[in-house]
Amino acid sequence: MAVEMSMPILVVDDYKTMVRIIKNLLKQIGFENVDEASDGQEAFEMIKKKKYGLIISDWNMEPVTGYELLQKVRGDEGVKATPFIMVTAESKTENVIAAKKAGVNNYIVKPFNAGTLKAKMSAVIGDF
Amino acid sequence: MPAAEVAARVRESLQSVKSADLKDAQLFEVLRLAQQLTDTMQMFFGSLDQSIHAEFHAIADYIARTRDEIAQLRPNDIREQRIPIAGAELEAVVKDTEQATDTIMGEAERLMSLEPEDLDGYKGEVDMAMCRIIEACSFQDLSGQRVSKVVGSLRHIEDRVSRFAATMGVHDAEASEEERAEEDRREKLHLNGPAMGGPETDQASVDDLMAMDQDSIDALFD
Repeated sequence: MAVEMSMPILVVDDYKTMVRIIKNLLKQIGFENVDEASDGQEAFEMIKKKKYGLIISDWNMEPVTGYELLQKVRGDEGVKATPFIMVTAESKTENVIAAKKAGVNNYIVKPFNAGTLKAKMSAVIGDF
Repeated sequence: MPAAEVAARVRESLQSVKSADLKDAQLFEVLRLAQQLTDTMQMFFGSLDQSIHAEFHAIADYIARTRDEIAQLRPNDIREQRIPIAGAELEAVVKDTEQATDTIMGEAERLMSLEPEDLDGYKGEVDMAMCRIIEACSFQDLSGQRVSKVVGSLRHIEDRVSRFAATMGVHDAEASEEERAEEDRREKLHLNGPAMGGPETDQASVDDLMAMDQDSIDALFD
């Protein structure tokens, strides 16, 4: 099934510049319907109100981290199937494994480029 | 009343009784024993006084040395000058970096939104944007100088605190309950922060881990 380019994507990061970078990269690869949240708590409230085609989240945020957001999403029957990509500077093997165990669909280590983002998105939501 | 003075008075009283021409030999013997006891007590309390005096002297020396070392630490200078200035410098670095990033990204976004119909005009816009991007990069020089000042202040504080700890023989106390709780939370949530010198696990290795099944991952820890 073809990817709907107008699908809503939620970008979660407490660093506004990173949100701006990801939004620009998404725009470059054709996705313009992008919402943003600054931590896991705000993101989860948005996810409960609106159906997103993809969540792209940082890990290290306060008060609710991206890892906790992933656990909340996977533990909520209504939204548990939402694709989730972690984009983070947390690069220890234990982080990758913990995220995988919690149900992340893909994992991008910062710093990253548009090619990596596009490749990981394709792997998660299909070619576009 | 000091012990020596008490002993002297007792001895004086005994002497006075003994000189009263007592006939009772037993009473005389009792007085002799009391005299011996008083002399012994005087020696004992005398040595006790000296020992307490020496202890207090040592404590006074220690307090004086501690005050000197605390003065050498210059805590007021650290609290009122060095830490606030270091904080202000770091805030300035964050602000300068944000401003530069905003300028660079703004120019990049503006260029991406241009329609290159008029090539000469488009080239002029690109040239101007590039100049503004290059100008914005000058923040790095100022930020470098600010960070060097902060590093200098941290080294200064580290030197003084280390010397104080070494001189006073200070050993680290156990972490507070609050600190332990925060440490546990960070461990539970895998909050490690960025690794020094680039990612600890590169993207290719992350991809390999993501491609592994759970049994293979578990086997890594056997």
